[in-house]
Amino acid sequence: MSLLMGLFSIPFLCSALLCICGGFSRKILKVLAVGCSFLPLLLLAYFHPLWVGSHVEFPWFPSLSIVFDLRVDPLSLLFVYLTALIIPLSLLAVPSADFPMPHFFYALALLLQGLLLGFFTAHDLVIFALFWEAMLIPLFFIISFWGGPQRQSAALKFILYMVAGSALMVAAVLALYFSSAAMSGSGTFNLDELSKGASQTPHAKWIGAIFLLAFAVKTPLFPFHAWLPDAYCQAPLPGTLLLSAILSKAGIYGILRIGMELFPSLLLAWGPLLLGLAIAGVFYGGLAAWKQNDFKRLIAYSSLSHVNFILAGLFVWNQTAHEGAILQALNHSITIAALFLAAGWLEERLGTASMNHIGGLAAYIPQLCWWTLFFVLSSVALPGLNNFVGEFLILFGLFADNPKTTALLGLTVILSVVYMLRWMQKVYFEEPQLQKKIEDMKGKERLLALSLAFLILWVGLYPAPALRYVQPAAQKIQGILKGENPL
Amino acid sequence: MSALSLHDLHALSPYLILVLTALCILLLEAFSSPLAHRFSASLTFLALAIALYAAYFAPASENRLLTPWLRFDALGRVFNLLFLGIGVFSTLLSAAFFQRFKKVSRGEYFFLFLSALFGLLLIGAAADFLILFLGFETLSISLYVLCGYMKKWTMSHESAMKYFFTGAIAAAFLLYGIALIYGAVGTTHLPSLNGAYHALATSSDQALFLAGIAFVTIGLAFKAAIVPFHAWAPDVYDGSPNPVTAFMAVGTKTGAFVAFSTIFLESLLQFDRFWNEGMAVLAYLTLLYGNFVALRQRQLRRFFAYSGISHAGFLMIPLVASTSDALPALLFYVVVYALATFGSFAILAPLDHREEGVLLEDLRGLFQRAPLQATILALCLLTLGGIPPTAGFLAKFAIFKVGFEAGYYGLVTVGLLTTVLSAYYYLRIVGAMLSASTETSKQVPPLPTAAFVGLVSFGAILLFSWFPAPLLALFLG
Repeated sequence: MSLLMGLFSIPFLCSALLCICGGFSRKILKVLAVGCSFLPLLLLAYFHPLWVGSHVEFPWFPSLSIVFDLRVDPLSLLFVYLTALIIPLSLLAVPSADFPMPHFFYALALLLQGLLLGFFTAHDLVIFALFWEAMLIPLFFIISFWGGPQRQSAALKFILYMVAGSALMVAAVLALYFSSAAMSGSGTFNLDELSKGASQTPHAKWIGAIFLLAFAVKTPLFPFHAWLPDAYCQAPLPGTLLLSAILSKAGIYGILRIGMELFPSLLLAWGPLLLGLAIAGVFYGGLAAWKQNDFKRLIAYSSLSHVNFILAGLFVWNQTAHEGAILQALNHSITIAALFLAAGWLEERLGTASMNHIGGLAAYIPQLCWWTLFFVLSSVALPGLNNFVGEFLILFGLFADNPKTTALLGLTVILSVVYMLRWMQKVYFEEPQLQKKIEDMKGKERLLALSLAFLILWVGLYPAPALRYVQPAAQKIQGILKGENPL
Repeated sequence: MSALSLHDLHALSPYLILVLTALCILLLEAFSSPLAHRFSASLTFLALAIALYAAYFAPASENRLLTPWLRFDALGRVFNLLFLGIGVFSTLLSAAFFQRFKKVSRGEYFFLFLSALFGLLLIGAAADFLILFLGFETLSISLYVLCGYMKKWTMSHESAMKYFFTGAIAAAFLLYGIALIYGAVGTTHLPSLNGAYHALATSSDQALFLAGIAFVTIGLAFKAAIVPFHAWAPDVYDGSPNPVTAFMAVGTKTGAFVAFSTIFLESLLQFDRFWNEGMAVLAYLTLLYGNFVALRQRQLRRFFAYSGISHAGFLMIPLVASTSDALPALLFYVVVYALATFGSFAILAPLDHREEGVLLEDLRGLFQRAPLQATILALCLLTLGGIPPTAGFLAKFAIFKVGFEAGYYGLVTVGLLTTVLSAYYYLRIVGAMLSASTETSKQVPPLPTAAFVGLVSFGAILLFSWFPAPLLALFLG
């Protein structure tokens, strides 16, 4: 059994293990689950130089020509690392009280980890589509069982949006298959093979549009975001982390993997329109965040805004912008996880996420206040912190193509400062209004915050190691376009 | 060779075992009702187990008394095993039902059930239209009674009457169609139909044949609950006892589609484009109607009627496509559908304690009350909804691939879009299970036989989700 197969199977085995461990106490369960969820990360780090190029391939369903084909390239590896990192973080964020049947939650999160590892390495279009939809199921369960008061409708809305967005994906997959069969005699779902002829497929525009729609809904690109605020706010804290830090990246990975590699000319042609939507999304998310009186919703909208910033980087055909977008996809995951954690801890202490009747909390919980401020500064792209590198690269790349649009997009950085600092000011720095005493950060929370801060500073101060993996991925995309249009 | 040899009896053994056991149970009920009450379920189960064994090892008969009427090939054996498997699951569910409703007499029930199953086996083994018709009549007449088996349920009276009348009309259509076909080509032997049709010289004969085919199609469409011949299904499913509903949802539907496929995917494969186009129209209607109406159901037996209609729509896609891959894809879907439906009914069985059956509200909080049962039901529902990574997705994928290959892009698109609706109504049930437990909801009593069905379905679905290839290979070879 190859290394990659091991990496892929571990989470499933751990998930099954936790399902049957319902009898243990909460503490043991948590240690067990977190330990299990760290296994992929340890494996990744231990065999680090071996991963790029490793693959698993066997005919899984020969009569339908589906090959179970997983393959790691630099782009995959980045997202695999992200998955291996975020899942343990979200498991650590599981509250210790008031959380029924935690073992099922751990099992679902580990299941999600396995599905995501499969998704980010899938090299067969059917397997890709299978994992693409399969990852929704654990999230649906998580939202609708452990979520807030309106969790049922939020979960249903979430999954229906997703299913509707990718409903026609199977037809698009089949269309590619049969066009490859028409061209080369035998049909295939292999992504490399398909990328050779996908653009010449009849109705390539429609097929590409079907894929893009699916990715746009999941990321979400403005205006396909209507599911987002409810799902993010109704999900339990660890679920919100999963949604914001991982799920949105699945859409971005889809655009990179399928959109750019299979339909480069299409993305080039639609670039201006998509860029326009993404920039509209950045503004919309920012303005909506400004008007929120609930800080969880505020962060949800800020996430929408930042994700659209990443998309804006993807839709400019320029290597620097792509590098920035890929790097920013990772940065955003770390920062948004940190922000939701900070917000979640605050909500846990206050019992509400409303900003109306609170203020001056810095006097009561100084540590949480300063940690939150640090994460907020990371989110607003303070130089020296991670988001600055990514957003700067995106703006830099965009500037080469279109200076005016860059000016417009640059303005949104100010917008994000406005809404984020408004939150900080209202909640932490105004006149103290609180009567009761609240507890400051606990050791476990400090540890989580510290590890996230380490990552934020690392990418912010010394981005070279991360960029070393981002660059080949972005270069590959450039190479594809050159092959398409030899100009 | 004119008389039946021992070898032939061996070939016929699965059918004989069923008939003989059925008669034994009837006699037992007549002479000693208490004994029948105690043993008929186990007797039926035992007989089915032996029949399964016999069907697997039954040799092919070459006796000319039998071969014009029954098929003994590999596919015929697969059908037999499939139907007997359905029989085993239904028996176990019936046993669970009788544990909930202790006072109801059982001997007659299992006699009728075995007769119905015998009818199903005949449908699968038919090499001639007459056997096919005989199979359908045996199945239906037993089912008319089984639908009304709970004599004190007022809903059941309506259900049985409705089923009887529509079933009689369907039988009339089927028989009349067979007569017309016989009139046109002079044979009712299925394998010779295609040659005889293409040898027809005059267009009036062809018209006669096509009219016959149209009647046969309508007759089968009634049985398969295809729109617009579906109107009986919701009321009949609604008013029948749970295991009978499960048997109808799986058995009758499978029987009808097996009949469709022996006629139209084996004997008359691509005999006339006209038929495929007509079926395509019905498939559109079935998919849209079944899925839209299922959105609003609260009573679960009724819900399964509508979801069953929508699955009939999906199963029609390979029939419409009529390619060489169509039959394996159809059978794969049928098996997955059968497992998921039985699994769902097995979980519903312990909750079933009144005439109205299980309502959506009864499932509230099931995940907290009974996590294992809720997990099984959730997996079955996700499978029915065709949501990855379950085998249901692969089954739908295979069907859509067949449809796409044959060029029915519109049908595939509508099919895919309706999966969004089906995702809603299946996940709504899952959502209800995950919601907070209400105080009125009671503990779930254990029913070992139903639990067994649930676990087996659960295991099989998991297995086929990971290793789907062997199952499909079974139908290919």
